[in-house]
Amino acid sequence: MSDEHEHHLHEHGHDAPETQDAGSQALAEALRSSFAIVKVVMVLMVLLFFGSGFFTVGPSEKAVILRFGKLVGEGQDALLGSGLHWSFPYPIDEVVKIPISENQKVTSTVGWYATTPEQELSGEELPAGPSLNPAVDGYALSADTNIVHVQVTQYYRIENPLLAIFNFASDTNFAYSLAGVSNAVQNALNNALLYSAAHFYVDDILTRDKAGFQDAVRSRVDDLVEAENLGVTIGDCVVISVPPRQLQDVFARVTTARENRNKALLDAHTYENQVLSEAGARAAAITNQAEIARNRYVTVLSADAKKFSDLLPQYQSNPDLFVQVQLAQTMGSALTNVEKWVEPTSTGGKSTEVRLMLNREPPEPKTGGSTQP
Amino acid sequence: MKRNLLTIIVGAVLVVIFVLLLFVFQVRQSETVVLTTFGKPGANPITDPGAYLKWPWPIQQVNRFDKRIQNFEDKFSQSLTADQQNLLTCVYVGWRISDAGEFLRSFRGSVPAAQSQLEGMLRSAKNAVVGKHPLSDFVNADPRQLKFDAIQTEIEQTVQAQLSTNAYGVELEFLGFKKIGLPENVTQTVFDRMKAERQVLISAAENDGKAQAQIIESAADRQAASTIASAEAEAIRIQAQGQAEAARTTLPVFQQNPELANFLLRLDALKLALNQKSTLIFDERTPPFDLFQHLPTNSPSQ
Repeated sequence: MSDEHEHHLHEHGHDAPETQDAGSQALAEALRSSFAIVKVVMVLMVLLFFGSGFFTVGPSEKAVILRFGKLVGEGQDALLGSGLHWSFPYPIDEVVKIPISENQKVTSTVGWYATTPEQELSGEELPAGPSLNPAVDGYALSADTNIVHVQVTQYYRIENPLLAIFNFASDTNFAYSLAGVSNAVQNALNNALLYSAAHFYVDDILTRDKAGFQDAVRSRVDDLVEAENLGVTIGDCVVISVPPRQLQDVFARVTTARENRNKALLDAHTYENQVLSEAGARAAAITNQAEIARNRYVTVLSADAKKFSDLLPQYQSNPDLFVQVQLAQTMGSALTNVEKWVEPTSTGGKSTEVRLMLNREPPEPKTGGSTQP
Repeated sequence: MKRNLLTIIVGAVLVVIFVLLLFVFQVRQSETVVLTTFGKPGANPITDPGAYLKWPWPIQQVNRFDKRIQNFEDKFSQSLTADQQNLLTCVYVGWRISDAGEFLRSFRGSVPAAQSQLEGMLRSAKNAVVGKHPLSDFVNADPRQLKFDAIQTEIEQTVQAQLSTNAYGVELEFLGFKKIGLPENVTQTVFDRMKAERQVLISAAENDGKAQAQIIESAADRQAASTIASAEAEAIRIQAQGQAEAARTTLPVFQQNPELANFLLRLDALKLALNQKSTLIFDERTPPFDLFQHLPTNSPSQ
């Protein structure tokens, strides 16, 4: 300090020898102290300059360093993970931070009718007009040139952050951000929505093949991000599709009619099952009856045969007597519950005349159910 | 004089920094730079990132360009298809500055100017290409007849060809439809047509249900009848089989003495016949009533 003091005094003495008064002394004093302040500030600034090279990278961030504009490191090695890092201060190095969350999400913008955020929140919508205004109402055209509203939400992951920031501009101000890629994915999604709708029938999009439609959208987005080299990986996608509000009731009636048809078919199948099982049961009963009758017939006849064989020796020993005995026995037992009327033999060759009043009784209902062959 | 030296060094460093700022410029990873000397562009644009030397302003000037892909989309505009339908289309493009020198010359380095030029070219290309295709090329269930991608490619190639012919220093990376629509009054007729189609579907579903149900029910009835008929046929067969079987086993037995067999069977038949309530009128001579004839009577007959 004293050195400089002398130097200043010398300078003053040399430049203005006749101003050695109190005023110039005060000035010299002021200059001296401000010089000291400047020196401290300079040291601080130098410290600050190098200290400003420290930066932290958050948990869902990556960072890259550009030295004189050129990327430091090669490929994925250039990406710095979370933690504390240091770089040369500007203008030598430039740190670019890239926010990378696990899953990015983008929603299509072209397939839905006009709603305001307030309406979406309250769930109420304005009544639909008779037509759709192309400036505000979005929709897709199906393969059968029907109008259908579709909204797709696509999840994706930034696989290559370097490609995302160094290959896609987000704006016209040279900034590095993921907005450019996000925009490109959204455009791919919109295109996929139109393209998929263009080769699906409206019923497939709305009801019959929703899963197929969703797959078509997803695979189209996949193809496009591959072709456009966006450096992202496509995840799930969620599709919402509705008929135009103007035609909602008539679409609902088609659904009802189809449900009714299915119900009619179901009823018919129930009837079918019932009739067939009844017929099957009846058929089984008929054949079983026939089996029973057959068995009975065969059994009875073989019993007869057995009886015949038993009686044959007796018969052969005296046929006449046998016949007489059998006949008498049979008559005896058979006639017990028969009304009998014995007509005396006419005498003297005169024929007798018998007159009967017949009042035929109805036959008793059969109880056994046995059919006589 | 030690302090003096420090001051001189600090001063020199500051001067060097100042001079460097004047004479050095950076080209960043995503940029292309064209140096102009008194407004005249240099031979080659600088595309490799790094630090470069230049003469200070106003001798040389740095013109920076973003060489990355820029997203752009044109206005939703109407074109006439080959089958005279009005179709509204909007396309998105990814374009980039391929030659910064040409770009600087063509648009004075202005991206908006380039985009408005691009928009005009897209519009005329869309009109030309859409006019060559019927609506069925845009929407079709048959993948072989759907020309969606082909139409996009045609538009892209048309614009690309114009861009390179005019040496705008701009190229397209990709192009696709972002929006396809119909004019507002046409949507109303589409709604009418859709409504009519739905009505057809409703009545088709109703009638189809009835018809199908009837077919199923009558088929069931027929099958049931045929099941029973074949069961009856089976029953007859079983009985016939029984008869044949019985005949086969018993006839040889009965044949030993047909007279006895006949007698026994008639006896059985008689038993069976008299099982029910019946009235028989006998002659006195019929056994066993013939016994009556020989009873002693009081009357002095014979």
